[in-house]
Amino acid sequence: MLAPMQASAANPDIWQVLPKAIILDGPEATRQITVRQKSSDGLMMDWTHQAKYLVQNPGIARIDETGMVQPVAEGKTMVVVSFRDRRFEIPLEVRGFLNPTPVSFEHQIMPLLTKAGCNSGGCHGKAEGQNGFKLSVFGFDPMADYIALVSESRGRRVMPEAPEKSLLVTKATGQVPHGGGRKLQEGTIPYKALVRWIAEGAQFGTTGFETMDHLEMIPAEQVLGLEGNLQLQAIAVDAKGNRRCVTAEAEFESNMSTIAGVDRKGWVQASSIPGEAAVLARYLGHVTVCRITIPRKGTSFQRPKEFNLIDRHVFDKLQKLGIPPSELASDSMFLRRVYLDMIGTLPTAAEAKNFLQDTSSTKRSALVDALLKRPEYSDYWAMQWADLLRIDRDVLNVQGSVAMTRWLKKQFQENRPYDAFVRDVLTAHGSVGAESPAGFYKVVTKPDVMARSISQLFLGVRIECAECHHHPSDRWGQEDYYGLAGFFTGVGKKAGSSGEAIIFTSGGDAKQPAGGKVIPTHALGAQHARIGDQEDRRKHLADWMTSPSNPWFSRAIVNRVWAHYFGHGIVDPIDDLRVTNPASNEPLLADLSKFFIESKYDLQALTRLILNSRTYQMSGSNPENRSDSQNFSHSQSRAMPAEVLLDAICQVTGVAEKFNGWPEGARAIQMWDNRMPSYFLKIFGRPVRTSVCECERSNEPSIAQALHLMNSAEISSKIHSRKGTARKLAMTNLSPEAIIDELYLGLLSRFPSADERTIMMDLFKAEGQQRQGAIEDVMWTLLNTKEFVFIR
Amino acid sequence: MFQLGGSMKQRFCDGISRRQSLKIGASGFLGGLSLPGLLHMQATASTGQEPKAKSCIFLFLQGGPSTIDMWDLKPDAPSEIRGPYKPINTNVKGIMVGEHCHRSAKVADKYAILRSHSHNDNGHTTGFHYVLTGYKANFADGANSKVPVNELFPSLGSIVSRELGTRGNIPPYINMPHPLTAGGPGFYGAEHAPFVIESDPVQPDFELKDLLPDEKVGRLRYSRRQKALRELEKNNNMTGRAGTMATYYEKARDLVSSPIARKAFDLGSEPAKMREAYGYSSLGQCALLSRRLVEAGCRFIGVDHGSWDTHFSCFPSLEKDLIPHADQAFSTLVTDLQDRGLLDSTLVVMMGEMGRTPRINKQAGRDHWSATQSVLFAGGGIKPGQVIGATDGKGMAPTTEPVGVADILRTIFYLMGIDSDKTYYTPLGRPVPIVSGGKLIKDLI
Repeated sequence: MLAPMQASAANPDIWQVLPKAIILDGPEATRQITVRQKSSDGLMMDWTHQAKYLVQNPGIARIDETGMVQPVAEGKTMVVVSFRDRRFEIPLEVRGFLNPTPVSFEHQIMPLLTKAGCNSGGCHGKAEGQNGFKLSVFGFDPMADYIALVSESRGRRVMPEAPEKSLLVTKATGQVPHGGGRKLQEGTIPYKALVRWIAEGAQFGTTGFETMDHLEMIPAEQVLGLEGNLQLQAIAVDAKGNRRCVTAEAEFESNMSTIAGVDRKGWVQASSIPGEAAVLARYLGHVTVCRITIPRKGTSFQRPKEFNLIDRHVFDKLQKLGIPPSELASDSMFLRRVYLDMIGTLPTAAEAKNFLQDTSSTKRSALVDALLKRPEYSDYWAMQWADLLRIDRDVLNVQGSVAMTRWLKKQFQENRPYDAFVRDVLTAHGSVGAESPAGFYKVVTKPDVMARSISQLFLGVRIECAECHHHPSDRWGQEDYYGLAGFFTGVGKKAGSSGEAIIFTSGGDAKQPAGGKVIPTHALGAQHARIGDQEDRRKHLADWMTSPSNPWFSRAIVNRVWAHYFGHGIVDPIDDLRVTNPASNEPLLADLSKFFIESKYDLQALTRLILNSRTYQMSGSNPENRSDSQNFSHSQSRAMPAEVLLDAICQVTGVAEKFNGWPEGARAIQMWDNRMPSYFLKIFGRPVRTSVCECERSNEPSIAQALHLMNSAEISSKIHSRKGTARKLAMTNLSPEAIIDELYLGLLSRFPSADERTIMMDLFKAEGQQRQGAIEDVMWTLLNTKEFVFIR
Repeated sequence: MFQLGGSMKQRFCDGISRRQSLKIGASGFLGGLSLPGLLHMQATASTGQEPKAKSCIFLFLQGGPSTIDMWDLKPDAPSEIRGPYKPINTNVKGIMVGEHCHRSAKVADKYAILRSHSHNDNGHTTGFHYVLTGYKANFADGANSKVPVNELFPSLGSIVSRELGTRGNIPPYINMPHPLTAGGPGFYGAEHAPFVIESDPVQPDFELKDLLPDEKVGRLRYSRRQKALRELEKNNNMTGRAGTMATYYEKARDLVSSPIARKAFDLGSEPAKMREAYGYSSLGQCALLSRRLVEAGCRFIGVDHGSWDTHFSCFPSLEKDLIPHADQAFSTLVTDLQDRGLLDSTLVVMMGEMGRTPRINKQAGRDHWSATQSVLFAGGGIKPGQVIGATDGKGMAPTTEPVGVADILRTIFYLMGIDSDKTYYTPLGRPVPIVSGGKLIKDLI
């Protein structure tokens, strides 16, 4: 139907003017037109805002400068779109204007309230409402909202006899004082819909509306130039396949506004930073995304040699974006990084020297293999999982905390297959004081909290929102939430001879708290689980979860391990896998996940694959890739976790930390006691273990941290200690130069540069300086460099 | 005040990394100009001026002060309620306070007494949590942990730190002489944790943790170290967190090397007469140090003052220590601030987590009574020289509209120019407005 008027017929491969025909059904129907052109270099130009629009018969419809059409009266006409020397005609029909279908509260008014933000958590959607008017947050409960509007407040909110005087209208338009300000303009389509709905008697009414099946975005993905634009179209498709433009009614948001932002009309604005963004559209509980890719202009690079499958996917992506990867990291950078990342421990000066002098071409992979066997490997990973599984001394007491930490350590020591490990956690029972993960069910006590913790931790699916309302950017609702909780209803506690024990009983389907509706137990997106009376209900969940066909299980852990080694996930936040939060490199995540399943859930094999990739072994950013934060073009500096930093300081100063009640030399990464008082651990962000979220560990720098490293009596006395490294070095007959080397190796795992050596030698040469004093000064200085505090 | 657009990602129950959640306001949520944005504009429009309070000194009388014996006496009640103390006149006609508050009585024109504060949490730890965060605790009372009990919700001071930032070379949020139990940053993260002076300024060996270099090192070596560090770091530009760390190092160095900051912490340079005026008590010296910190630019100082939980034979300790110390510290602080022209820009609040039972118990003490407590406000633009609200003849309940915790916090933030309706999202995406509900204490402002 697209009708080019010029002789030089517009090539449909180059010009895309959508839609080809418009039917506006009802007085409040609208249609977004988009005008796009493919340029010779393959990029897409969006001219929607530059094009000129004209409705041939303005008595039938109206169009604004952004290409949004709205009806004026019943009839047929033509929209003429012109851009430069091009002209396109789109036939248009307005129907249902004279005898419109009554406005439906559920289908039309709810989305309108949502888009205006009325039911957001900060306004009337919050638990106590706002100024006596409460809506369900994000509109998850249309009936309750309907009653709130129509029946409460003595009917003043909607008055069919004087629709425009209704409180709902006068407040929303700011005619009477409204804390939220003016949310609706008089005369606009939403305003008209609201007034008509009230005038028709404010019906809940659903007649004339098919159930919505899904939401579609046009386009679903798009490559844009730097600072390019794109007009999105959101289309609601009902069960019969009818399509309706809801661009005006849907909400839009970008997951990465620094790369591409979006306004409330679906107009995307790319920034000057190359990268990717996912723009989400939400309408009536359905969500979808458009993936935007913004390549860097005119950059080509030589693909470095690939070490393994990871590099192929990463370089593919970087090539697509035009972001060149960084150089391979030096041996010392790799050494320090891999020690701190894998075993949470700094290499000693001797270890550093040995590695740097090793001439073997396979020394990096040999080091990875060797570190996997170190006891610190299992200490460190047990500590991280103790955070996630919330080992809390205040709840489990000493015996329980020690036992569960020991169990964790054993899993990593033995390289227990991950599926078996998770099955043990899921189905844990028996004494809380025994070596097992049973303590988890003492820390987390309610079936629904167990369910959502397990879901977030092992599937990367956050269903917490669905406890109260439909997940705003995923498909989960309350039925899914309580359906999952049904697997945990049999978990109980019993006092035993050797302390408390976790037991399982027959349990049953969980009930929705409001209304008490029984929800059939089912896993996410799965069928109703048939569970026998005598069974541990959790076993059924474990079977489903650890099946190779589970869509999340393997991806979630692969992404978690990846994020540990790179500082951020392929999907980020790492425990939030959903369509609307897509992977920055889907082929990479898919392939890693496949590898992991094929390896029979072997965490060490996965670790080897990641660490032996060139991608992991890259150096820091260069001017071409500095702004990239999603595509692993370079290594990003990361703060050492609190415990790792404390251990590193103890190691380099040669003075162990004294933990109350712990044997001399105990290390912070071995600590099972999350409540151990420690100013150091507190200010450097040790988590308290109140959630299964990795995000609980804070790695934000603060003034208190800087002050503590510079001035604290604790660290100063370690540097100065009679038993410490500085003293020992002072007692040797090593030359100052050799001592400086030794300290550089011990603290930074490298030799100093010539300039650095000069600066450090000045500390030795200073007037009145003692030998030990100079050594302490060098040590203090290196310990306070960013290079020491960060993993690079 | 608002970060529009910026680096926001998802904004809901599911998709916020900690760092992002720290930066997102409600602004992005609604698109365009938000509700809090509007409210903020309205607030400024209605006052038509910048907020007066640049800093706040929060004297926290933990354990629950017996304000029925201090600021709201019940002389006409039976003896088992009125207790042994008599009301005395103040320099404001019609306002009377307890006889042991005689110093404050002489300067009653400089502060306001709110007598109708009331809430319904009668626990200590839960009360700390409620008063300092504005949100009810979700744990049972009694948890006595070394880590802050407000694991999720940020405390007053952390909010001020985040909203107003530093003013000068000094951390924006300081606790002394130890951390406030519920004074932590909650989900705001370590960046907004209090800088804790974990040493009592009344002790002769008072020292400032980490603020001054180790004495053994000496000034000369210390400056050599700093110079070497600067030279090493010159060619070591790091971005991201490491870059942020670098700026904190700068700030930390400023703090250590800036004469203003150093001077602020040097309580010894204060004339003996002044130290005496504040009283050689923990609260007195903390109040004095607080004033010095305000002068140096600190935004919020939380002074944790203990032992107010007087269940047993309360009157001896009340009249010998607790009340005189509080009376002296508060009255001197307010006078001193005024003498220095700082009272207008400094809000002083003195309160605890609850009041105490009007009826004296069998052990001659008073028990927990969160239904009534008097709270003192001075400076920062409040209307001084007045009593707000009243309690019944037995001090059991307010007879005027009760003023709740949210009302007090909202008023403090209002005075400091902070928008209480601004909303941040927890790592799991739950929106947490700075203050949920509550309304301004109209008579105070």
